[in-house]
Amino acid sequence: MREKRRYILFEVMSEGEVDKQRLQRAIWDSVYSLYGDTGASESRLWLTSYDCGEDTGIGVLRCAHRVVERVRAALACIHSVDGIRVAIRVIRVSGTLKGVRGK
Amino acid sequence: MSTGSRFFLLNVHLQPRISADDMLRAARRFGYAAIGISTIVNGGGSIAPASDNPAIYTGIEIVTTSVSDLRQKLRRYWSKVPMVVVQGGEERINMAAVKDHRVDILSNPCGEKWDRGELKPQMLKYAAMNGVAIEFNLSVIIESRRGKRARILRRLAENLELMRKYRAMPLLTTNTRSIYDLRAPREMIALASLCGMERGDAIRALSEIPAGILTRRWKRGMEAEQL
Repeated sequence: MREKRRYILFEVMSEGEVDKQRLQRAIWDSVYSLYGDTGASESRLWLTSYDCGEDTGIGVLRCAHRVVERVRAALACIHSVDGIRVAIRVIRVSGTLKGVRGK
Repeated sequence: MSTGSRFFLLNVHLQPRISADDMLRAARRFGYAAIGISTIVNGGGSIAPASDNPAIYTGIEIVTTSVSDLRQKLRRYWSKVPMVVVQGGEERINMAAVKDHRVDILSNPCGEKWDRGELKPQMLKYAAMNGVAIEFNLSVIIESRRGKRARILRRLAENLELMRKYRAMPLLTTNTRSIYDLRAPREMIALASLCGMERGDAIRALSEIPAGILTRRWKRGMEAEQL
């Protein structure tokens, strides 16, 4: 059975440019570090999209609906990406991609 | 200007490059209504002037290793600022701070690197009696990894249990020095849940408790003793 998903719209504020690949790695590292291999696998995490600018970026992260709070904590634990200081803020959470981008 | 938010971020230390207004702007973007900036007072230095902006509270942080120096600074500054923070770590400073109702927040009671001091029942009884909030600095969870983080989470959970038992007030902060140290209230609540803090308690530690500190609500009936 297909599990319910949640889409998390988030903003990255950074000291420099952070590309999608590096951010994805940082998110995975943070989830692994906090919850281990089983926790990471349960989260069903996927960085759906990420548009980066010089010092800000906006992205959408997909995860299992039961682990939204865990993912919030993992995002909050990211303080740098390859030495570039960052702060990640969740803007909105929705059950559909349209909903998270739409408002 | 009201933002509709009820969350407060206290014990913010500004780096020289960033102004209080810039920090407030960033904090509001993250969902806070107001910020409390702590200026470390050393020697007989003057305190930073209060901001014109009603959403910026300027307090002091006392960093000392001597109890007599702590009392002297409390005498000098208490009536001049809306928030007095004492940096803990050493047991005698922790105890002196919670025994004095002029102190609003005891920060880092286990040391900045969690290598000193610990919360003791007696200390928490005094903290509850004198309305001294105990800082729960979540930056240690954010910045540490693996074994160290596991140890800190365990100690935070133990501290939290003790604080619940003695009804001491927790205050959630992130040791904010720049905009990159800011975390939104919902993220703070999620982080606090890692050490066993319930959602309602975490919301209170970000809203009611800091608001009460800034209005000296937890000190009602104690001003007369001072006079």
